[in-house]
Amino acid sequence: MRLLTHNTLRNNSAEANGKGYPLKISAVEVRVDDASEVGTDSEREIAFVKGILDMLDWKILVKAAAELGLNTLPPTLNENLVNDDNFLRALYHVLMNVHLVKGMLTCPDTGREFPVTDGTVDFTMEEDECENVRY
Amino acid sequence: MSRPESTGHASIFYNEKEAKKYDSSSRMIGVQKEITERAIELLRLPAVSEKPSFILDVGCGSGLSGKVLEEHGHIWVGCDISRDMLNVANERMENKRMDVQRRHADSSKDHQMETHSDDDDDDNASSDEDEEDESSNMRNSASTGDLLHHDMGTGLPFRPATFDACISISALQWLCYSNSKSQIPKKRLTRFFSSLYQVLRRGGRAVLQFYPETAEQAVLISECAAKVGFAGGVVVDYPNSAKAKKHYLVLTFDKAYKAPQGLSDSSLMGKSHQVRVDKGNGLRSKDAKRSVRKKNRGKTKDWILQKKQTQRNKGRDVRPDTSYTGRKRRDKF
Repeated sequence: MRLLTHNTLRNNSAEANGKGYPLKISAVEVRVDDASEVGTDSEREIAFVKGILDMLDWKILVKAAAELGLNTLPPTLNENLVNDDNFLRALYHVLMNVHLVKGMLTCPDTGREFPVTDGTVDFTMEEDECENVRY
Repeated sequence: MSRPESTGHASIFYNEKEAKKYDSSSRMIGVQKEITERAIELLRLPAVSEKPSFILDVGCGSGLSGKVLEEHGHIWVGCDISRDMLNVANERMENKRMDVQRRHADSSKDHQMETHSDDDDDDNASSDEDEEDESSNMRNSASTGDLLHHDMGTGLPFRPATFDACISISALQWLCYSNSKSQIPKKRLTRFFSSLYQVLRRGGRAVLQFYPETAEQAVLISECAAKVGFAGGVVVDYPNSAKAKKHYLVLTFDKAYKAPQGLSDSSLMGKSHQVRVDKGNGLRSKDAKRSVRKKNRGKTKDWILQKKQTQRNKGRDVRPDTSYTGRKRRDKF
């Protein structure tokens, strides 16, 4: 599970009542891929990060990165950072190359746990846990 | 032939054995790749050079469609109900990552690594003509996908307005079958579409290819999507061919959207055969399509050698290649 993915996740059970994020991370195994080893294309990376910047919840990202042992992110974004290509590339690396391989995600509102094994988050839930819909 | 959906829960049908079989069938890989390409075409995404998209792949299975997304330069998150299929996807992504690391380490040599997975061989063979620089560049990077073990009928667990687009290949129809007393297809479909509406960014689009068993199913699916507020329509490709027929549910927020014409048999037959689409075409068009698709495959020696290599990679016993391989035999007929 990448930091990018974690930033988007929420517990969508009925109990969470529309919130269910940010999911607290307790990490057992983390893997950081070397940017040069997984292949890079800086133009593409910068374009991608620029495109999702308004979607990202920065506070959630900073906290999650810290939970995975990364404390290098600035606490807030500002104009200068957002236009700095080097910062954007570093941000791409943080979002895409830091993986939670094994651990647990916990809902802050209900305490429901979502295990992570082999980098895959288990979000399966029973029918009775789900939000009700009018159909 | 019975449909997989009627045999039981998707995670039971796509168990470990089935997952491996699915992922190693070159025909399946080819079909899924084509469908994914068509879905991406229908998505009308901005050019990757402008902005790679963040895409949700619902029912991503063993990652065949995700691979195509990567080759186009996009970043994706996939979810699937079958853990076994996801394990196959994981393995593929791991292998790709180690492959890239190895290539990087040997970057001084011009090193063509034969990887363990078959699909690379098939891809090289059938897509040589279409391969752009983009695609080969993407092969030198690790996978940009992430996986979620998840049942789409429980709703998509993401914050609102997260994804630029959504695709789904051959998965949606599973929602039409209930596997327990508490599962009501219409409810699950509505929940899925309602959550999809939430998690797509405004201006985003979803293209969901599915196999309806009956016309009623296609209608049920479309109606549930419309009810939650989506505009769009169903694009049907090759409507006259039982085998080639494909349904794509295209969903947008734009009420003015008009679904494009589906691909039809006549479009394949070249300029001189524009018009006729009658019953007889069903069979003929398949041959025409096959020859266009496979581009004079026949049973040439090259094809034989490549096929033998694929089988070797699967671990089967194959006769060694000699000068007699694919020799011209005496005409039996």
